[in-house]
Amino acid sequence: MTTRRTSYLLALAASGALVLSGCGGGTLGGGSDDAAAEGPIKIGLLVPQSGVYKSLGDDMKAGFEVYLEQHDDKLGGAEVEVILADEGETADSGKAAAEKLVKQDQVTVVTGVVSSAVMNGVVDLFETSKIPLVGSNASPTTLTDATYIWRTSYVNDEPGEALGKYVAENVDGGVYFLAADYQAGKDEVEGFKKSFGPAGGETVDEVYTPFPDTSNFQPFLANAKSSGAEALFSFYAGGAAVEFVKQYDQFGLKGDVDHYSAGFLTEGGVLDAQGEAAEGTFTAMNYNYDLDNELNKAFVEDYEAKTGMKPTTYAMASYDAAKVLDMAIEAAGGKADPEAINTAIGEITEVESPRGTWTWSNIGTPVQMWYLREVQEVDGTLRNVVVDELGELGSD
Amino acid sequence: MTGWLDAHLVSMVDGVAYGLLLFTLAVGLSLVFGMMDVLNLAHGTLYLAGAYTAYALSDGSWLGLLLALVVGLVVGLLGGGLLAAAVAPLQGRGHLDQAALTLGIALIAAEVMVMIFGAQVLPTAPPSALARSVSVLGHSYPLYRLVFIAVAGLIAVLVYLAFERSSVGALVRATVADRDMVRATGVDTRKVLFGVFAFGAVLATVGGVLGAPIIAPGPGVDDRVLVLSLVVVVIGGLGSVRGALLGALLIGQVQTLGVALMPAFAPFLLFGAMLLVLVLRPQGLFALGRA
Repeated sequence: MTTRRTSYLLALAASGALVLSGCGGGTLGGGSDDAAAEGPIKIGLLVPQSGVYKSLGDDMKAGFEVYLEQHDDKLGGAEVEVILADEGETADSGKAAAEKLVKQDQVTVVTGVVSSAVMNGVVDLFETSKIPLVGSNASPTTLTDATYIWRTSYVNDEPGEALGKYVAENVDGGVYFLAADYQAGKDEVEGFKKSFGPAGGETVDEVYTPFPDTSNFQPFLANAKSSGAEALFSFYAGGAAVEFVKQYDQFGLKGDVDHYSAGFLTEGGVLDAQGEAAEGTFTAMNYNYDLDNELNKAFVEDYEAKTGMKPTTYAMASYDAAKVLDMAIEAAGGKADPEAINTAIGEITEVESPRGTWTWSNIGTPVQMWYLREVQEVDGTLRNVVVDELGELGSD
Repeated sequence: MTGWLDAHLVSMVDGVAYGLLLFTLAVGLSLVFGMMDVLNLAHGTLYLAGAYTAYALSDGSWLGLLLALVVGLVVGLLGGGLLAAAVAPLQGRGHLDQAALTLGIALIAAEVMVMIFGAQVLPTAPPSALARSVSVLGHSYPLYRLVFIAVAGLIAVLVYLAFERSSVGALVRATVADRDMVRATGVDTRKVLFGVFAFGAVLATVGGVLGAPIIAPGPGVDDRVLVLSLVVVVIGGLGSVRGALLGALLIGQVQTLGVALMPAFAPFLLFGAMLLVLVLRPQGLFALGRA
């Protein structure tokens, strides 16, 4: 009987290890907590300092700091103190860090938040404590009626929606959808279909790959290839994006099936890791470092001087969050008054941004232009290059 | 039929590559558990250590790969020796204590590796001579994976022969079957146990070095390969090289051909296969008779 028992034990261990791997905790990062009533306005910067989203957190922290450095560490003429908290990678770690900022550090406003799961988890906290959250990344499609939550990024399904019509009009044949099986992947495909179908696009198949367990995309890519589709629409980010793009090349889809994706696929450090395999990939994004305007030139220059890298959309959205706070704190008279600042944020009609000028939509996200980018070799390095405009989204 | 074969040939070939990679992991886990009754939950960590070694040392040249293999070998020997020494005092205290200890070691090691290598997945390039795709019956397939199949296949054959056909292998199999009887014949079974632990660990780290271009190192990869090899051991049966090999090849096909045929069920196929085996043949498909 021993082997039978041990078999069950092993099976149990296999399932248990799965569960355990899901509960890596995040630790709360630094920050001082002197409860001085007067003094600088306290701003909570809630971004991942550990876990799989750390590089996004680093970009957002740098983008925010670049804005502060350009403005003598003042927002709206007032001294500010930025308190950093580690979002970690799970909803629990993010929620704990947000609660620490609001309750223990008693900040006036919070900015940041990478993960949609964290965003969903902190809605009640900010709505009931009446502290404004100027989010600079996560933006689930379901978040439409919050009073104290703003986002300077985009709604999750917009990169797909921006691309759908273009692909329907420019691809002569069927399109195969492949996306990571979690909320963001599904949102992206839904967004894509929103504008793809009405424009006459033809869907071959819609397949979701298990996340984060899929590192071998071969069977999915083989199906996509043998389906006879003319183009592929995908959603992947981070490590999965690197693997996906490399295998898309290795298994011979490159040059045979065109690849369109939401901009995260080739955004930031992942592009270096993908190398030549990424060349010719088309992505949709609300920003690219090569946009031609004065504000963007200054931003790119200062960001490069600080980090040695080109800014990503994550850094840009965080830079804009600082800009929004700058304008709102000034309008609120430079006082640490969350209610007044929140009202002032809502009254902002136009934000001058490195991405171009944008305004608030009626759900607190930007109404903004979207761009089609292609990965091209520029001066010996691979870069996203803007090749077309995809139109403005967010106004409805 | 030929159309079906043509469409899924690449998936089947890839299943072999995947299966052989799993074998290098599962065989150590299976033997250590079968022989020493030690449940080593830090086994996936050894793969990850090997894969990070490959990332750090491989620079696209053959020499880089060779260097990574040598360092991986040493890391495996040290890691296996340390783990064996750590669990030795827990002999006879039940699986829970061993699981807690090795899981703790795995968690600490995972954090240390994140501190050194960061939280990104680090794609590892194979030697540049192999970093291209070739045509397999009209389908593009990465050359590195073909070479991997040859090398890992050779390793599998050597391990199989060593365990099933040599006198050292006979000693190991005897220890699996009846440790006390082997001890009674005057053999120091602790040395056999240490040897097998270190051997299994070396296979896992070498698997990591060679497998890094296939399953790239990153946080969480240790858990993922641990789960896969535990499933292989459950399916193949404990303490048997043949079981580990056939179980690994079977899981390889489930994870590639199975997924290609039933993409909608991809998340369930792995555990579905395990469940089926547990219901039909709980001791594993190819278990060494000990019950």
